[in-house]
Amino acid sequence: MKRSHRLWLFAVGALGMGFVYCAGARNLPPWGQYRGPYGDAIAQLAVYERHTTDTVNAVTYDYRGFDTLGEEFILFSAVTGVMLLLRPEKQDSGGKRDEKGGNPASFRDRAALSETVQMFTTAIFGFAVIFGIYMATHGQLTPGGGFQGGVILAAAPMLLYIAENTEAFQRIVSHPLVEFLEGAGAAGYALIGMAALAMGAAFLTNVIPLGTTGDVFSSGTIAAISACVGVEVAAGFTLIIFEYLREILSQKKNEEP
Amino acid sequence: MKFPADYPYFVAAWILLCGLYGIVRSKHLVHMVISLTVVQSSTYVLLLAIGFRRGGYAPVFAGLHTGARVVDPIVQALMLTDVVVETTVVALLLAMVVKAYEKGGTTSPDDLRFLRG
Amino acid sequence: MPSPALLVSVPLIVAALLGALRRLIPRWIADLLAVLTAGGNLGLSCWWLAHALERTEVYWFGGWFPRGRMALGIGFTMDGYGCGLAALAALLTTLALIYSWKHMEGAGGHYHPLMLVFLAAMSGFAVSGDLFNIFVFFELMSTAAFALCGLKTREPAPLAGAFNFAVTNSVAAFLMLTGIALLYSATGALNLAQIGLALAGRHDRLVLAAFVFLTTGFLVKAAEVPFHFWLPDAHAVSPTSVCVLFSGIMVQLGLFGAMRIYATVFQGCFAGTKIPWLFVVTGAVTAVWGAMMCFAEHHLKRLLAFSTISHTGLMTLAFGLWTKAALAGLFVYVVAHGLVKAGLFLCAGILLHRFETMSEPALFGRGRALRGTAPLWFLGGLGLAAAPGFALAVGESHVTDVAPWAEGIFFIAGALTGAAVLRVGFRVFAGLGDAGPVDRAARVDEKPETTDAGWRVNPVQYVPAVVCIGGCIALAFWKGMTQVAGSAAASFMNFRGYAHMVYAGATVIPAAEAHGWLAHGWLAAGLRALAAVAISLWAVLHLRVPRMLRWPSHLEGSMKPVRELQSGHPGDYVAWLTVGCAVLGAAAFWLVL
Repeated sequence: MKRSHRLWLFAVGALGMGFVYCAGARNLPPWGQYRGPYGDAIAQLAVYERHTTDTVNAVTYDYRGFDTLGEEFILFSAVTGVMLLLRPEKQDSGGKRDEKGGNPASFRDRAALSETVQMFTTAIFGFAVIFGIYMATHGQLTPGGGFQGGVILAAAPMLLYIAENTEAFQRIVSHPLVEFLEGAGAAGYALIGMAALAMGAAFLTNVIPLGTTGDVFSSGTIAAISACVGVEVAAGFTLIIFEYLREILSQKKNEEP
Repeated sequence: MKFPADYPYFVAAWILLCGLYGIVRSKHLVHMVISLTVVQSSTYVLLLAIGFRRGGYAPVFAGLHTGARVVDPIVQALMLTDVVVETTVVALLLAMVVKAYEKGGTTSPDDLRFLRG
Repeated sequence: MPSPALLVSVPLIVAALLGALRRLIPRWIADLLAVLTAGGNLGLSCWWLAHALERTEVYWFGGWFPRGRMALGIGFTMDGYGCGLAALAALLTTLALIYSWKHMEGAGGHYHPLMLVFLAAMSGFAVSGDLFNIFVFFELMSTAAFALCGLKTREPAPLAGAFNFAVTNSVAAFLMLTGIALLYSATGALNLAQIGLALAGRHDRLVLAAFVFLTTGFLVKAAEVPFHFWLPDAHAVSPTSVCVLFSGIMVQLGLFGAMRIYATVFQGCFAGTKIPWLFVVTGAVTAVWGAMMCFAEHHLKRLLAFSTISHTGLMTLAFGLWTKAALAGLFVYVVAHGLVKAGLFLCAGILLHRFETMSEPALFGRGRALRGTAPLWFLGGLGLAAAPGFALAVGESHVTDVAPWAEGIFFIAGALTGAAVLRVGFRVFAGLGDAGPVDRAARVDEKPETTDAGWRVNPVQYVPAVVCIGGCIALAFWKGMTQVAGSAAASFMNFRGYAHMVYAGATVIPAAEAHGWLAHGWLAAGLRALAAVAISLWAVLHLRVPRMLRWPSHLEGSMKPVRELQSGHPGDYVAWLTVGCAVLGAAAFWLVL
């Protein structure tokens, strides 16, 4: 189809779709007047039933925790998919470990690195790690949780990369443990659910004692699941970063015969 | 619903159509992937607008008494899922783009048409 | 009583462990674990299917039982239809994994985890009773599918196919989420039963818009015209075992999603309106369109992909009739079609493995060496035409019993898709006539996904294909099948029973009668099979008939303008998607308001 034809076709479709959307939205309650009842009920119940103060995380990891299991595995399969798509081509039979070929750390832009950047990023590396762990373990109390904490943790090696601390960066991201942690974090979530099953309760029932509201060790499985998710997300994003950088490197190599 | 007062719903519709327009007229695969994230942003706006309550606090009861008027925590949890979905789909799509560039030598959707008819 | 949560959690745990330890686990252990897990899912879902014939039950995750009318958590609703589809998904996954045993490229150990995640997502999607949870499983299914589709990264074509697939299906998912958000705002609920009760027959613009967006999302997955463009692209390039799952169950699950939300959320709203006719018309158009494209195609996997489009159109038509008999027929039809299509894809996979091409002209006469594959392929072709003796004919006869006029659509779709497959059979396995026209799509270069060099076909590769084709024939003669289908359809349509199950924990299902064959079905099936054989021979031996009478070969070679629409450009596909959504919206508004 020609480009102009496509745009005309889209114009017709978009007009209809926009009309349907707006016609539907006209019957929505006025903005700013959420009517409940689901959200209100959860907001009322979560503090008492689950001893968490962050009700969003009570929903994410407990009331609708099964959704989050699926969500975590969406991430898992995307990471697996990225590794699959960007896999080195020589080895396809699997199992063998000869993927060390490209070292992403040796790829860098030509521009000289400013010392300020190097100093600063190296300095906040530790801070990023601690902040990530803090985020991942305090989701039940304040905004945060496994996903947010995991992303911050995964950003830490990127800081090293920016600082061109190549050795440390490579040691972290190409470690076989990263891959193991990614799978283990994902499996851990499902296994916590299975633990409830083994105790005779429904899958993903909160079987750990709930503790005192406001404590770090409160809210039962919410904190445990959040930690598993944190591990999985951190490892998953590290893997994605590693795969992309290796791919860029191998392309650079091909361009310079 | 009246127009100026309830504008977030229209904003969501507008962003949706903008993103679709971007995908349709795209000349670069990366641009197309980013347009897809624009389509997705429309769902964020819609979800948050639906759960919003005028004068409501964030549904975090650390330092807030439990009877307080808060916005809907459900849509925020749904949006968190939505964010993860977006990130992962983008990661996968960009991996495909990188690989397609390597194999096909092109980043234009017009030249990537090996499957026709 | 085994927990329904195991349907999802066990494959996910095994997938995660296989992924975590992929460098340490030898290939055969991965194969074995994956097959055992999928087999376990098959057993579990069959157990629940048998249970659902007497009692449908709900399972609340986290022990969050509803408070009053409000569902706090997520529930699985173990009804006959859902469990049946979960069982079909598990069966096909098991067979696909047996097919790829050892010989298929393992993709560095990533193949098995993705297949198992795919299985878990399909199982969860089939039995979930929560709107947002359905979206999550839809996305999980998609993510695994995108990655599996691009498995063969050595050529650019699979990447293009996977890209088109991913872009269109992601747009579909976001439209779905828009629909979910609108419904949530209208009712404050995400549980299907609760939404259905809260809407209580309301059918204003908001409900209509939500219906349009949700249905569009599901119909993209179900590859209905004009949302179908991604499907042939994705199928042409995916590994065989993945094609089996795409064509045999994933597309049908897309349709099932539309059915589930219609049965629970919208049934009360649109009772007495003509909304179901939207599905009838969409289905009829898709069935005919897909059948004609199928006959014009000369790339084996694309040909089979278009036949999937055509048959899914027939299923959509059956759904739109919205009667117990039609839905019972649909249930049989989905299972039978899944088996036949899987069998055909597996045969195509053997051809690809042996000859390294999927082009009909290039394969001309070369299939003679494969004596084992030929009968399976011909039986599969007859099966697609819903010939007597195949379970497809049983399902079809139940549908046309309700709507005799639909016989015409079934005839066109069955005869043309069957004829296309038989035509390939005559040319490839018998070397009859000439090689047939060459077209651009048939020249898409495809390398096999198999790793071992040499032409030998491993006997294990035949097992799944034999099971599929044989199973489809056996189902036709098993009277219990129609009983299962009748009971599943009755409880699926009964929203009150569904809501009772959700709130009271279980609903007792009255026993259904077994119908078996319907007399008029034999006649129609026989005619269809004859027509398929005649058209295929006519096309193959076209040089021996007078020029004036070479209609099938005209159909085979002259679909140019229509085939140009299948442009391979994701922008085009999304433009068509918006048009489809707009047409659906306009029709829905016109029918209801």
